[in-house]
Amino acid sequence: MKHASLSKYLALSVVAATTAFATTGIAKAEAPSWCGPKKATLGLLDGYGGNSWRQVTTASGKQTVDLCPSITKYEYADGQGDTLKSISDIKSMAAKGLDALVVFGDAGPAVLPAITSVFKSGKVVVPYRVAVGGKDGQNYSKFVGASFENDGESWGNWIKSVLPKGGNLLFLSGPAGNSQGLDELKGLKKVLGPEYVFVNQEPFAVTNWDPALTQKVLTAEIAKNQKIDVIISDFGPSLVGALPLFAKQGKSIPALATSDGNSLGCFWQDNKDSNPDFKLFTVATGNDNVRLAVQWAVALATGGTPPSEQVFKAPAFEDSVSGKPSAVQCRKDLPGAIYLSSELSAEDQAKAVGK
Amino acid sequence: MPIPLARSFVTVVFSTLVLLLVCAVFAPSSLSWGALSGSLPFAAIIAIVGLGQLLVVQQGGFDLSLPGAVSLAVVIATHFPQQNDALLHQAVLLSIGISLVAGSLNGLLVSIFRVNAIITTIGTNALLYAVVFAVSGGVPSITTNLLAEIAGGESLGLPNSVIFALAGMALVSFALKKTVAGRRFEAIGANPLAARAAGLNVRIHQMMAYVYAQLLYCMAGTLIAGITREPTAFQGDSLLLPSVAVVVLGGTSLLGGRGYPVSTVIAAFFLNQLSQFALTVGVPFSAQTIIQALALGFGIGVYSIRWTVNRKTTTGTRKVEDKT
Repeated sequence: MKHASLSKYLALSVVAATTAFATTGIAKAEAPSWCGPKKATLGLLDGYGGNSWRQVTTASGKQTVDLCPSITKYEYADGQGDTLKSISDIKSMAAKGLDALVVFGDAGPAVLPAITSVFKSGKVVVPYRVAVGGKDGQNYSKFVGASFENDGESWGNWIKSVLPKGGNLLFLSGPAGNSQGLDELKGLKKVLGPEYVFVNQEPFAVTNWDPALTQKVLTAEIAKNQKIDVIISDFGPSLVGALPLFAKQGKSIPALATSDGNSLGCFWQDNKDSNPDFKLFTVATGNDNVRLAVQWAVALATGGTPPSEQVFKAPAFEDSVSGKPSAVQCRKDLPGAIYLSSELSAEDQAKAVGK
Repeated sequence: MPIPLARSFVTVVFSTLVLLLVCAVFAPSSLSWGALSGSLPFAAIIAIVGLGQLLVVQQGGFDLSLPGAVSLAVVIATHFPQQNDALLHQAVLLSIGISLVAGSLNGLLVSIFRVNAIITTIGTNALLYAVVFAVSGGVPSITTNLLAEIAGGESLGLPNSVIFALAGMALVSFALKKTVAGRRFEAIGANPLAARAAGLNVRIHQMMAYVYAQLLYCMAGTLIAGITREPTAFQGDSLLLPSVAVVVLGGTSLLGGRGYPVSTVIAAFFLNQLSQFALTVGVPFSAQTIIQALALGFGIGVYSIRWTVNRKTTTGTRKVEDKT
């Protein structure tokens, strides 16, 4: 009886998964092989959940969990940018008896001791995206990182295609010394030769991913540099407020290699005609990193087959020059703060970020 | 008595002129009109929150609820209308209403119930952030076009935000220096005991300082919402330190008393131009922070050295102040 209902659930989940994948346009015909038969509970822990990117990510994680009926309980905690709260969230989730934890370790190595102690007590722990230090199998079950170097290479290749003879580049990233920015620069430098000059300070212009600071930094850079050929930024939407500064200083918005966002796509469509140099290339902003991490955690906790990928590689998304893999997208009817590159449907994202 | 006014004003104007000279030599592009029109709105924001902080500092207080207040004005101005221009004025009225409530709360606790200003305003800040989360869920939203035009546009060749800041300065200066209430306000800040003995209503004036401050934060937050197209829900966080810094650089004593609105506004320009200078020179981020810290240390040092001399000559007054 129990077995029968279980197989029924499994069959249902196969159907659900297939339809879900089919509707989101992903050619994954097989059932989630990562979902094993063993019952388990799972918690998703965010170090800082207070922006739309995180809300879309959380909704994506939840959607992935829903594909696996073996997960009987799902919980979410937001560390609210407070390292101590993040640590106590990890510990209390484990104390509550959850079997698997997927952790966005914003605080980096600071959360490693908590993760390690939970892992040592026999839980499945999968930190993702932000490196927390430590090793697979010793401090946690599996770290599912993102390849920011890959993003850098994608941008670099595109820059080469639109600017073959070299030129002036301006690279903006988040807080000083953040590893994402450094990895992206590594990828950029791998592809681009010395004829491409970075006009920003080494290694990148610091913006803290704050739109106000981005605006100030860009003001100074535009005034200082007669010619900027390409702006590279790892958070495209934070540039939307700053780009009109070019018009104020009587220049065209230059080419832009960045990550996607609905507000950015719409901004490009509104401004491309008045700014002849404004070409746009985006990589997916990486909300789907959480899916891979959840799949790993579920596979390990339920006895399923772990996914073959170990690292999330953000695919290229929009290219205003070639139109491949997709032309620049804009959904004016939906909030600006959603990411059309995400597997989560635009409407579901709007729900996730909306009030 | 006009000597101290002249000193603070002269110091801050002199420092600003030196900075402009240094900019002209080492980073001339930071003085180009394009660069200035991009950075002046942020100077205006610092000036406006600085004026708010000034009024509280004049009463010997300290307002740490600034980040919450500014962030709340930002999210109300963006989330409430949801890009619908017709709802903007309602959003602004709502912001003003909340500012009055938050300011009265701060003021009542500090002046009537005698709770320490720092503790009170930290608490209010947490409350305001709770509302920020309730309104926005921590998510940025896009500004309405109307607000972007009002706050981000230019008239008479000046960014509108600068006009708002100058109007704020004129209003605060006039009220402080030329009205009876303003003169009482300053007298109470200088010495509440003496003011009470003279029959002034100390508590009301102390309370109102927090209310005026909140109104100015509200103005700053609404302007930020217009200047940055997609402001975060935490835009006020980076303004707390500059707000205190410009008050101190403007020559107002943290112990309260006479306030210098014009100097405060000039100090805001100075501080903003300094960070723009550091950005333009292209020094590493660590050095940028150090340059700003040194400038602040220098600014504060200028006043504290004179201040020590004052203390020696007027020991009697100091003792009375210490007891308050």
